Amino acid sequence: MSDEKGSAIVVIGGGISGLTTAIEAAEAGQRSVIVERNPYLGGRVAQLNRYFPKLCPPYCGLEVNFKRIKQNPKISVYTSAEIESVQGSEGNFKVKIKINPRYVNTKCTACGDCVKVCPIERSNSFNFGIDKTKAIYLPHELSYPMRFVIDASPGVCPGKSCSKCVSVCKYNAIDLDMKAETVEINASSVVYATGWSPYDAAKMDNLGFGKVKNVVTNMMMERMAAPNGPTKGKILRPSDNKQVKTVAFVQCAGSRDENHLAHCSSVCCMASLKQATYVRESDPDTKAFIYYIDLRAPGRYEDFLKKIQADASVVMIKGKVAKIEEDAETLDPIVTVEDIAGGKKITQKVDMVVLATGMEPSLKTANVSTNVKLDENGFVDADAQAAGIYASGVAKRPNDVTTSLQDATSAALKGIQSAVRR
Amino acid sequence: MGDAVFTPDIGFVRGLKEGGADTMKQCYQCATCSTVCDLTPADNPFPRKEMIMAQWGLKEELSADPDIWLCHNCNDCSKYCPRGARPGDVLSTLRKAVIAENAFPRFMGTIVGNAKLLIVALLIPVALFLALLNATGHLNIPAGDVVFNKFFPIPLVDAIFVTTAMCVVFVFAISVSRFWGKLNVNPYKLMAHSMLIPSLIETLKEIVFHKKFQKCGANADRTWTHRLIVAGFIGLFIQTNWAVFNLYVLKWETPFLKDDPNMMMILGSQAAVMMYYAVYKIFGNTSALLLLIGSLMLFANRIKDKGVNSVSSSFDWVFAVMVFLVCITGLLSEFCRFANNAQVAYPMYFIHLVCVFYIIAYLPYSKLAHMVYRTTAIVYAKMAKRDVM
Repeated sequence: MSDEKGSAIVVIGGGISGLTTAIEAAEAGQRSVIVERNPYLGGRVAQLNRYFPKLCPPYCGLEVNFKRIKQNPKISVYTSAEIESVQGSEGNFKVKIKINPRYVNTKCTACGDCVKVCPIERSNSFNFGIDKTKAIYLPHELSYPMRFVIDASPGVCPGKSCSKCVSVCKYNAIDLDMKAETVEINASSVVYATGWSPYDAAKMDNLGFGKVKNVVTNMMMERMAAPNGPTKGKILRPSDNKQVKTVAFVQCAGSRDENHLAHCSSVCCMASLKQATYVRESDPDTKAFIYYIDLRAPGRYEDFLKKIQADASVVMIKGKVAKIEEDAETLDPIVTVEDIAGGKKITQKVDMVVLATGMEPSLKTANVSTNVKLDENGFVDADAQAAGIYASGVAKRPNDVTTSLQDATSAALKGIQSAVRR
Repeated sequence: MGDAVFTPDIGFVRGLKEGGADTMKQCYQCATCSTVCDLTPADNPFPRKEMIMAQWGLKEELSADPDIWLCHNCNDCSKYCPRGARPGDVLSTLRKAVIAENAFPRFMGTIVGNAKLLIVALLIPVALFLALLNATGHLNIPAGDVVFNKFFPIPLVDAIFVTTAMCVVFVFAISVSRFWGKLNVNPYKLMAHSMLIPSLIETLKEIVFHKKFQKCGANADRTWTHRLIVAGFIGLFIQTNWAVFNLYVLKWETPFLKDDPNMMMILGSQAAVMMYYAVYKIFGNTSALLLLIGSLMLFANRIKDKGVNSVSSSFDWVFAVMVFLVCITGLLSEFCRFANNAQVAYPMYFIHLVCVFYIIAYLPYSKLAHMVYRTTAIVYAKMAKRDVM
């Protein structure tokens, strides 16, 4: 059998797919390594308020996974880490990883004294810039590892010239001298679980994002609806923090569009149906409008669609919104759409618009020298890879969490096979 | 609607795809096009419905549809189309199909509408002119100073073009009445025709001031291109009639000599005749220049777009090239005449007349026919309360 050192599965990406691949391989006895770019694990799932169709919080599933990692010595985790290169062949890959400095070491107890003295603020990327954190911050409530991190990007933490956090920390947990390190790992296989980023909504010049104040994206909506989010679960619109009564959901905002993302992102329909429940649960007087080209609720998800359709206050209109303007006085967004079934071009004024922006595969825009082959949309082309190179989850194709999990399990098995074959 | 029976015309679909609407089957009916269009009425908007009608081959319904003429090819729809279906080009192809369908006689629509038959369309005037010149004994390069009258006698030119113009009016009368009959069906069947004159006046005002064009986004440059071409054509039309006035009313023989005794008597002095001649020439040449610049801008716009928003069909290109040729051959004829270069001037003049013939005689079948069809459709749309302006 293979020796311990040379047989790790390197999983690139610590979101739900990567976690699952690494954990399941490790639980089958295979050493695995998770490499995550962010200073925390959990990826996009950590940012979600609820899963569809059960409407349960994703946090509980993540918590279970973190516990599985803690209990399993066969899993190593690198956060704030980036892939520099992947070389070699099946059974004998060399994966070079750059670990960016966190400036906070393992002594951190997450007491939060540092935050109180930190004078610098940064835009909170976890909440898509809706609120701010200090330059030293905990990424989110359930961060793994449960440690603070310092944002040393230009214009944020000034470093040693300030050092207020260093002096206040009782545990000597802050080290502003921390440097980036490079680690090389021998791997039997590499699994790309690199996931996705929300498509940049500002690229759609007719949908007003960034210009019309009360236009947000679906991922921003998840954060707004989340109890631990910037508005503590209240859906308040950006311009005046008013609790929203009417919300328009604009489907296919960038997806199924040659000018943006040519693929269907597969989850946005279900996500908007789910988010309509956030709006409707907040107040009985609320109303949600969903503008769609086709409503895609495959298989058992159709039951969920029917449930939402039964609510008379959720109006579904066939037609893609292609113009969003702002009422100069009230700052209410006004959407324009052809109501295809009604045979009329209509406008609708609402309190807030949610753009159902799609999934852009992270690898498409990543600048990493690897030998992974992508298809024309930037997803990993599963059939075109060299032996020992695998992908799981949205890196491969746009999918919901359930499907990603199944895919992640299959990637774990393939990784084990690559190790055992040698 | 539940009882409606549609008869798809597969041949029609194939014809559209070959004629420039090759992308139409890409359309998945999202209605982005209708939403970004600033020219569509809100009720039953276009071009989303035209896209599916074209996909289904609903020829009858499309030839009765005034909306394809409300479209001014701004191409905002094509720019924002998520599928590259290019609704702007599809509507342009549909307009071409309507021109061919209402053509009289129908084979002329086929000859002019098909770029492959361009040579036939050009050979008709060439053969006609050669035969007439031969019959009147003018099939040679005249000696002496270049005077076009010596080569192609003006009475002959007048006979050809006055006859042609009358034919064009006659042909248009037939085509427009056919077209009107097709438009005037449900759902927009007119109850009263009393709004005809006000609608016509309003339409002409819109055309002159390019009001619809000004709403264009993606293709805003075209507003000025179209303005110049329209101004150029109107100017040259006036110029032609002015020449007729000089010839037959003032009895001023070409080449419009400045010491013509009759003209000196009418205007009082040679200086006045000079002045009159200068104004006349400047007006004509300015009109020609406007048309030339317009046609060059047309090329520039199309090349600049690189087929991103629109791919020009051969139908469009042929007409644009003919407009350019009519200007350039006209101006070159004039310059060669001034330079007294008979060897170039007379053949150039011959080619110029062939181009002029193409523009005038084929007006009911070429791209320029939109002038009449679009005006008719917009007037109809206004009467049917179907227009947004």
